[in-house]
Amino acid sequence: MTEYAIRITRLSYSYPDGTKALEDVDLDVRVGERVALVGPSGAGKSTLLLHLNGVLSGKGMIRVMGKPLGDTALREIRRHVGLVFQNPDDQLFCPTVFEDVAFGPLNLSISPQEIPHRVERALRDVGLDQSIRNRPSHHLSHGERKRVALASVLIMEPDILALDEPSSNLDPRNRRHLIELVASLPSTLVLATHDLGMVMALCPRTALMDRGKIWADGETRRILADARLMEEHGLEVP
Amino acid sequence: MHIPDGFLSGRIWLSLDALSSVTVLYAARRLRVQASGHTVPLMGVLSAFVFAAQLLNFPVLGGTSGHLVGSALLAVLLGPLAAFLTMVTVLIAQALFLQDGGLAALGANIFNIAAVPVLSGYGIFRLAGGTQSHGRRLAIASFLSGWVSIELCALCCALELSLSGAIPLRVGLPAMTGYHAILGVAEGILTSSVLVFLSHTRPDLIRRGAGSRLPVADWVAVVALVAVPCAILVLAGSSNLPDPLQRLLASADPVYGRQGESEPFLSPLRYREFLRALTLIAGAIGSAYFLGRLMRGKRSKL
Amino acid sequence: MRHNFIDRYANLDSPLHVLEARTKILGYLSLIAALLLMPGRNDVVLLVYAFVAAILVGASQVPLGYIAGRSLVILPFVLLAGIAAPWTNSFDGARFMALATRSFLSVTILLLMTSTTPFPELLRGLQKLGCPRILILNLGFLYRYLFVLTEEVLRMRQARDCRRAGRAPPRVELKLLGSMLGSLVLRSFERAERMYQAMLSRGYAGEFPVLAPRRFTWRDLTFLAGIALLIVSSFRYAGR
Repeated sequence: MTEYAIRITRLSYSYPDGTKALEDVDLDVRVGERVALVGPSGAGKSTLLLHLNGVLSGKGMIRVMGKPLGDTALREIRRHVGLVFQNPDDQLFCPTVFEDVAFGPLNLSISPQEIPHRVERALRDVGLDQSIRNRPSHHLSHGERKRVALASVLIMEPDILALDEPSSNLDPRNRRHLIELVASLPSTLVLATHDLGMVMALCPRTALMDRGKIWADGETRRILADARLMEEHGLEVP
Repeated sequence: MHIPDGFLSGRIWLSLDALSSVTVLYAARRLRVQASGHTVPLMGVLSAFVFAAQLLNFPVLGGTSGHLVGSALLAVLLGPLAAFLTMVTVLIAQALFLQDGGLAALGANIFNIAAVPVLSGYGIFRLAGGTQSHGRRLAIASFLSGWVSIELCALCCALELSLSGAIPLRVGLPAMTGYHAILGVAEGILTSSVLVFLSHTRPDLIRRGAGSRLPVADWVAVVALVAVPCAILVLAGSSNLPDPLQRLLASADPVYGRQGESEPFLSPLRYREFLRALTLIAGAIGSAYFLGRLMRGKRSKL
Repeated sequence: MRHNFIDRYANLDSPLHVLEARTKILGYLSLIAALLLMPGRNDVVLLVYAFVAAILVGASQVPLGYIAGRSLVILPFVLLAGIAAPWTNSFDGARFMALATRSFLSVTILLLMTSTTPFPELLRGLQKLGCPRILILNLGFLYRYLFVLTEEVLRMRQARDCRRAGRAPPRVELKLLGSMLGSLVLRSFERAERMYQAMLSRGYAGEFPVLAPRRFTWRDLTFLAGIALLIVSSFRYAGR
């Protein structure tokens, strides 16, 4: 049972105004597996990610590390699932980098003495200099902010990492660093992106999403090579 | 409109500081009971919005320019309590970042620019039926709430300045209210065009904020808020007070207090002495500055 | 775009920059209050305060031009008071000058406080001094998102300026501004929604965690003692 990190069965979700965002989505992810969610903008990838830690809750069944997602287990689930948002400006809301990175652990009531060490380690893990910690996030470059956003999630040591468009707006060098960094992490990975190069570098498995549904799910090489399927859903064979 | 330090007499800024801190503490406590989870980031982002929106100037008379104040707009979007605290945040930030408004005068500025316009804007918007309607009615209600909020703000400002003896009412009142009557039109148009725009795109936002009623307890607090400073100001202004109180008020008043105690050192009427004193003072202050700068040299060598 | 118009000089190294935020808040605040409450019109005392302010400005290493430029914000009020002066019952040039001096010194001291302390530290200090939590949070959000929103505003203004030639009549101008502000409000609402989701994702449960502040050192005590000495002696002198 617990060999599945995530099991989603028949998940549907509509926005408050009635627009359907997800329709009968099924997705199973094994522990340690790296899965890419590809699809055009507005396909429902981000909405699906927001369901993984219960920020949004639609109709259907979601199990994370074997436990069903309900109100009772939410804080526990959020410890297991680390979600990195597409725009670091949404994720980093504190005055300084240190407070942002420490936000998660402080909420999880980890002892205050331990937090500086943890912050130090998290910043080192994402390849940032320690001098950055007292700076305000708006003084950082976009690439640095992306890394801090990642550090603010990694510090909680999640079993499952969910990344939303991690390579958007990154220059080629920062993108390569990011790919190397994510490749070195042991956790289960769900990666929502348009960046098919990154998918090929990181994920053996791909699920293709469009209009709230999963249309194909299987080996990355096969799906990305299927020209007809890709073009039908607004993508290109890389 | 933001009053800097030095223009208000002690009794005015001290009493308004006291009043505003009580109001802020009260509102913060009430909000903790009422607010839902996402109100906190919403207030934060909207305070940044108001701050940023004030960078967008539009031309007014004679080369001067105005900008949105936003109290009435926030009152409609967030409800009075959250709007008040959001405006307080903006005012603190303006004092700290831009030196717009003094630190000691912060209480007065909170009263003029946060408390009075938010409450009046909110009250008028509700009275004019802005919550129930679309289109024209909404536009008129929000225009009125914007205009009145600015005008009341200017009125309070002029009153405080004249009671402080800095700018007499004969000059201050027409200057402030006249100029702000024009600014108020702009504020009204902006408030109503933003709200009309939102009523087309996200009508739920207006409903949510303006629909949040003030409970009776808060109305009592509001009445006290208006009544207490008025009473203080009226009492302070009249000379029929018992003597000890009169003296207490006068002692906290640098402009009125102790008139003619000594011949002013810097009277511009005594030109030669004035000039000599001025060079002396400039020299002393200059050397004090360089003395200060030297302290760095020592420290960084250590 | 330049991002540092707020705490541009806050990371210099000077005797004032090493002080704890609470020390500076308390010290400067009482300095301003004393300056404004000084009884009478004792010019000598005002001079002493100007002297102290000059030493502090020098010690802070903040450029003079910056302080001078920023303190111009009091100008409209000084002008209004100047214009109004002949209407007062007793025109008194000295009184007007004392008023302007007090105002100018207060602004200088306020500038000293904000330009020698990084804003996040100032916030932590205010919080320790009992400022309501919601205001501290709001100020933190404002500081964080001010630049994000300002950039949006500037981009919108550029777009507006690109699409028109010269100034439109005021009515049109205001209408344009109104719709710009409207979409800005809308974006703010959406951003707040996403921020809230990000907060929830990292275990937010209604309370913001608090970090420990810095400790007081002998430097802070010396600074506060100096200010207290100045205030007490100036009041005794002025009250003579």
